[in-house]
Amino acid sequence: MSHSIPSGSRWRWYIVFFVAPATLIYTVFAIYPIVESLRLSLFAERDAVEAFVGIDNYKKLFTEPYWADQFWNAFKNNVWLFVLHMLIQNPVALALAAILSIPNLRGAATYRTIFFLPTLLSVVVIGFIWQLILSPLWGITPAFMNFMGVGKFFAPWLGLESSALTAVTLISIWQYVGIPMMLFYAALLNIPEETLEAARIDGLNGWSIFWKVKLPLILPTLGLVGILTYIGNFTASFDLIYTLQGGLAGPNGSTDVMGTFMFRTFFGFQAQLGDVNMGATVASSLFFIILIGVSVYLFGVQRRLQRYQA
Amino acid sequence: MRSNPLSSMAIHGVLILYSALALFPLLLIAINSFKSKKGIFRDPTALPLGELYSTKGYQSVLANGDFPLYFGNSLTVTLISLVLILLLGAMAAHGLTEYRFKGNGLLGLYLILGIMVPIRLGTVALLELFVKLGLTNTLTALVLVYTAQGLPIAIFIFTEFLKSVSGEIKDSARIDGLSEYRIFFEVVLPLIRPVIATVAVFSMIPIWNDLWFPLILSPGEETRTVTLGIQQFIGQYTVNWSAVLAALTVAIVPVLIMYVIFSKQLIRGITAGAVKG
Amino acid sequence: MATLELNNVVKQFGQVEVIHDISLSVNDGELMVFVGPSGCGKSTMLRMIAGLEELTAGDIQIGGKKVDHLPPAKRGIAMVFQSYALYPHKDVRGNLGFALRHAGMPKAEVTQRVDAAADILGLGPLMKRRPSELSGGQRQRVAIGRAIVREPEVFLFDEPLSNLDAALRVHMRVEILKLHQRLKSTMIYVTHDQVEAMTLADRIAVFRDGVVEQCGTPLELYKNPANKFVAGFIGSPAMNFIDSNVVNGCAEHAGQAVINMPDGDSNHAKVSIGIRPEDVRVKPDGILSGTVQVYEHLGGEAYLHLLLQDDQNLVVRTDADSAYRIGDTVRFDVIDSKLHLFGENGVALPRQLTS
Ligand SMILES: Nc1ncnc2c1ncn2[C@@H]1O[C@H](COP(=O)(O)OP(=O)(O)OP(=O)(O)O)[C@@H](O)[C@H]1O
Ligand SMILES: [Mg+2]
Repeated sequence: MSHSIPSGSRWRWYIVFFVAPATLIYTVFAIYPIVESLRLSLFAERDAVEAFVGIDNYKKLFTEPYWADQFWNAFKNNVWLFVLHMLIQNPVALALAAILSIPNLRGAATYRTIFFLPTLLSVVVIGFIWQLILSPLWGITPAFMNFMGVGKFFAPWLGLESSALTAVTLISIWQYVGIPMMLFYAALLNIPEETLEAARIDGLNGWSIFWKVKLPLILPTLGLVGILTYIGNFTASFDLIYTLQGGLAGPNGSTDVMGTFMFRTFFGFQAQLGDVNMGATVASSLFFIILIGVSVYLFGVQRRLQRYQA
Repeated sequence: MRSNPLSSMAIHGVLILYSALALFPLLLIAINSFKSKKGIFRDPTALPLGELYSTKGYQSVLANGDFPLYFGNSLTVTLISLVLILLLGAMAAHGLTEYRFKGNGLLGLYLILGIMVPIRLGTVALLELFVKLGLTNTLTALVLVYTAQGLPIAIFIFTEFLKSVSGEIKDSARIDGLSEYRIFFEVVLPLIRPVIATVAVFSMIPIWNDLWFPLILSPGEETRTVTLGIQQFIGQYTVNWSAVLAALTVAIVPVLIMYVIFSKQLIRGITAGAVKG
Repeated sequence: MATLELNNVVKQFGQVEVIHDISLSVNDGELMVFVGPSGCGKSTMLRMIAGLEELTAGDIQIGGKKVDHLPPAKRGIAMVFQSYALYPHKDVRGNLGFALRHAGMPKAEVTQRVDAAADILGLGPLMKRRPSELSGGQRQRVAIGRAIVREPEVFLFDEPLSNLDAALRVHMRVEILKLHQRLKSTMIYVTHDQVEAMTLADRIAVFRDGVVEQCGTPLELYKNPANKFVAGFIGSPAMNFIDSNVVNGCAEHAGQAVINMPDGDSNHAKVSIGIRPEDVRVKPDGILSGTVQVYEHLGGEAYLHLLLQDDQNLVVRTDADSAYRIGDTVRFDVIDSKLHLFGENGVALPRQLTS
């Protein structure tokens, strides 16, 4: 509903009053910095002055081995992170949501509260908790695995090049499964009871209702969760990895992701000097990577999925 | 599926198992934070009773002395940002849904762009901006960034909700003689109360837990947030396990309390369709 | 209490004109009903009177004063909405007194007016409840009460009953009628339900596509509709229209002269004959006939849906104790004096009564 109210003057100040503050803060502290980063990526410091260098920074990032190796390593790790989240986190979330949305399930509210709990806690806290639990020093995990009879498979996963990234990812999944779960849960609850009853009358049972009715109906949420996972994976993964593995994302860069790479490039780390323009270049590359993902989602996935609605 | 006792048992089995997986690490930390170092290592899963009980860890956390400050900082930043996000977000959503004006649709699109483009990508320029403004190492910088970061989602959710609300109640208020400003504060704000909780929780979590911006924009001793403080504290005390565990527990508790207070409303908000795909 | 004048009112939304130059006047104390199909501009007109929409052209006067540039609260109107528009966070008393308190009226007077309104509407026991704790009918009554306490010059109702179930709708309709008789204030009532319009109105304005097709008392509209649209809209079941050729100054059907054309009218080769279901007499020696396709029995009366010889349809009212089967042939006469004639452009032709 929109309304035009008779008013003496053409200029309706109250509209300005309502939209200006948010627009202003958002423009200055969210949009401007991103645009400015894009601009900075086209400049470089030459003899202590900023000079326009076109796409030189990007060339450097993608061709000079020092940069390109790091970039593609981080990118590859991010892809693995994304794949694992899609393959484990989201199906688990969907399964939990499906179970929780069973009508009249006893204790549903309690379970829901518990499942969402880890999501609320700081990544720093979560990171340290798991670091302690997985630590060979404390011995909780080896003891537990001995108890289960699989003790010989224990390894200090977070410290091994081969397993560190996967271990970190599993921790992240453990923490964040609550968010897609809630989104699926809300979508499942939004399916009209009549639709499900109609399916029951058509002779479908619990399983087939889930696969043939509920799942198609919540496909748009599936798409949304997918794109949110994609975006979060490129930016939010910094916190956990920085906490667990430090700015160098060890061991030997095996857990380096775009976030940590960007951080190191911008601020420098230990011997490496910070570089504003290269930092901006990494950020801008990430911006385009995300843009591609979002475009695929908006123009490919979402549009197709929306057709199922209504 | 509904009344089959066997499948019902299986379902609860799965749920309880997952609950254990979600809770166990947290409980483990909380239990051991009340033990001496020896107790922590000798018997990690035992309850902190008898000779195992010790508050040494908490003593060293408190002795560090800065945690109240960190808490104060986090609380200040989170609360002020939250109020700004909710208020400015609701105002903008109201302005966008209630009035027809040139560029209305475009502005709406612009304002929710930030959902898809993470503000972290602008960190380089943000830092430069705050240096210019003389706002590095201030809580103000954090508040501004978090507000800008939280607005898009808030505006999106509020807008969706307001679209579903009948416009007649606002017209009715107009006939009752309320100004456009008072219509917002006296009619619209009470109307959106159910979604406010949802938006609040979703905005609050990333702010309270953020490590990136405190680390970059305000790493100074005076402006450290809990998250950053814990990160640094643990970095220093890795050998003092009691202290580390106590610090972790201290960091969990306030979030837990807020969650318990808000969880009912949060779930209600979500299931009311406030967060739609 | 006041008169209301609409002078050459035009409304455009962007490029689209939805109200085309409407002029209308509502007398003091009159209950005027705006009726018309969905999207024809009734609500828009009402909202312009209320001051919720700006006029593109023309002006509006209430009690002889131009109100175009007054905000809604200053126009001396009160409005009742379809969705009730109650404030969910205030109880019934709070809702009723809100506008008055806002206007700065002394507390005692607010209480007195609110109590008086509550009395009229029987809201006494509900004063402490929130809207969510009320039934649909009770909410509607609160919405009306909120209008009453303001003692407005003009009441505006926008489909106030369309969210209620059928029984309650009839009940509330009577209440509104009683209210009007009691308050004797000017009221404008928007509905798309022609039964509501017929029963409530002192006068009805029939809207179509942003123009007023006809304005008059319910009986005027029923007896002398200005055109096919109004004729089809007023009355239930709707008037039948039979396409007919004019032969020798007579409109005929299936070779049978039905009605004479008005004297000297030779401009029409084809006309529509308007026949209300209640103006047909079924009798064995009727000159016209049709086959029964549907037989609807409503208890007190019954309707036959007939297929005429040239594949046109006709709905006919019969008395309740007749019995018909599908496929029966029925003969009938029409009551000449009650027939209507419409030219090809839909405008009613003056009738020449014959026997
Ligand atoms: N804010 C608006 N912007 C653009 N067009 C509008 C607006 N409000 C109404 N219209 C258009 O004006 C026309 C009249 O609408 P209005 O609401 O007055 O119809 P109505 O007669 O009240 O119908 P109903 O019986 O369905 O309530 C419609 O075609 C509608 O689409
Ligand atoms: Mg309407």
